[in-house]
Amino acid sequence: MFYVMCIFMFGLVFGLMVVASNPSPYFGALGLVVVSGMGCGMLVGHGAPFLSLVLFLIYLGGMLVVFAYSAALAAEPYPEALGSRSVMLNAGVYLGGALIGASFFWGGWFDGLWPTADEAGELLMSRADAGGVALMYSFGGLMLILSGWVLLLTLFVVLEVCRGSSRGALRAV
Amino acid sequence: MNPFTLALLFFGLLLGTTITLTSSHWLVAWMGLEINTLAIIPLMAKQHHPRATEATTKYFLTQATAAATLLFASTTNAWLTGQWDIQLMTHPIPTTIIILALALKIGLAPLHTWLPEVLQGLDLFTGLILSTWQKLAPFSLLLQIPAANQQVLILLGLASTLVGGWGGLNQTQLRKILAYSSIAHLGWMLIILQFTPSLTLLALITYVIMTSSLFLIFNYNTTTNINSLATAWAKAPLLTSIAPLLLLSLGGLPPMTGFMPKWLILQELTKQQLPMTATIAALTALLSLYFYLRLSYAMTLTITPNNLANTTPWRLPSMKRALPITITALSTTLLLPLAPAMLALVTL
Repeated sequence: MFYVMCIFMFGLVFGLMVVASNPSPYFGALGLVVVSGMGCGMLVGHGAPFLSLVLFLIYLGGMLVVFAYSAALAAEPYPEALGSRSVMLNAGVYLGGALIGASFFWGGWFDGLWPTADEAGELLMSRADAGGVALMYSFGGLMLILSGWVLLLTLFVVLEVCRGSSRGALRAV
Repeated sequence: MNPFTLALLFFGLLLGTTITLTSSHWLVAWMGLEINTLAIIPLMAKQHHPRATEATTKYFLTQATAAATLLFASTTNAWLTGQWDIQLMTHPIPTTIIILALALKIGLAPLHTWLPEVLQGLDLFTGLILSTWQKLAPFSLLLQIPAANQQVLILLGLASTLVGGWGGLNQTQLRKILAYSSIAHLGWMLIILQFTPSLTLLALITYVIMTSSLFLIFNYNTTTNINSLATAWAKAPLLTSIAPLLLLSLGGLPPMTGFMPKWLILQELTKQQLPMTATIAALTALLSLYFYLRLSYAMTLTITPNNLANTTPWRLPSMKRALPITITALSTTLLLPLAPAMLALVTL
């Protein structure tokens, strides 16, 4: 179990490094896939399998896939990945920074488990991840409405920013 | 823009600031800040020329970075202390990171470089919203963080007053001048934050009123650089005659309102045994005063010799709104005698 968690954590940091080192969008999306996959594995290890499944489905299987399709539409004749010099330089700097940061916080990475059950109010006990969904619809109703409203606002913002074809210097087509 | 979209975006701006102002949980505060960033993006890009789009992109990137840093720092604080309350932050590392993230959000030196370019790409009304409304939410968070003995606050404040004064000296574009003046005033607000937060709030309120009056006057005259300011006297002579008072109020000269926060801040710094900090702040404010004086000189004190071939614009009826200018200009010049009442108003 220890080794599996180690693989997940190293994979997460490596994927983050791939994303941050500014490769072409295809490889950036690949890095994001790796990051979210490893993150989901770590969530399972900390006792939240439901949350991990939901993250896989919605984030990886919904949003990242749409992003990958959009990145595929923006075709690059010579896509750059870890083989090119500038990307390798960025990756090296971030890897060095990650190693330095890791050396600061080296002791006790597995301190403290996720509280797998929690209580709210006087008569309510809920399991951490699946019970959270029920709480979101009951106690967290205002947050749910607010989050839904923010998503609607984001939709209108994106539509307004991209409105009109090729006018406004944001779209080339 | 479609009026429904416009209404939705303005409502989003209102909602975001309100959420952050009324929150005690870091996640909710972060949500309010992100709603503000999202809602103002189309407003900034609505002129659809490349400069506006570039300004919008820069604004989005800096604000997203600041919000992400804020999120990471509050998560670190939750990890270390086990709770998410804004007013109960005790660990110095997340507190400092949050202060730096909020400094990036509002444009304090040395994290100020985005502000002049972003303001330059916007029209004056959107620039006004950016300079005034968008500062309220981050300041509400800065006021609530228990900041005891933070050298970083004084350093940010003094660097901002210095950069705000020094950087504004070489500018001819009014929006960049106003950006640097914003940086300088934010520096003054931050210097006194850890000693008397009510003075920070007072400085913020007076700055919002003073800079609104200037933005609105420049909008009325449709001027964006010093050259067009020099011929703006023909459009509204009354505005031309009161503009130096407003500019000197921003510069902090008595008997205008702008003297109030500077005077009280210097007094408080002296009481806290920090005479060197007070001296440096006062001397760097002189740099800002120079370019405010230059604007007064160009606008009012000199009139370039020219012959007017047609009717001067002030003789013709104008449909422009003057009430906001009236309110803010009067407040900018006449509120100094109300200092005790204003201080009681902002005492937290």
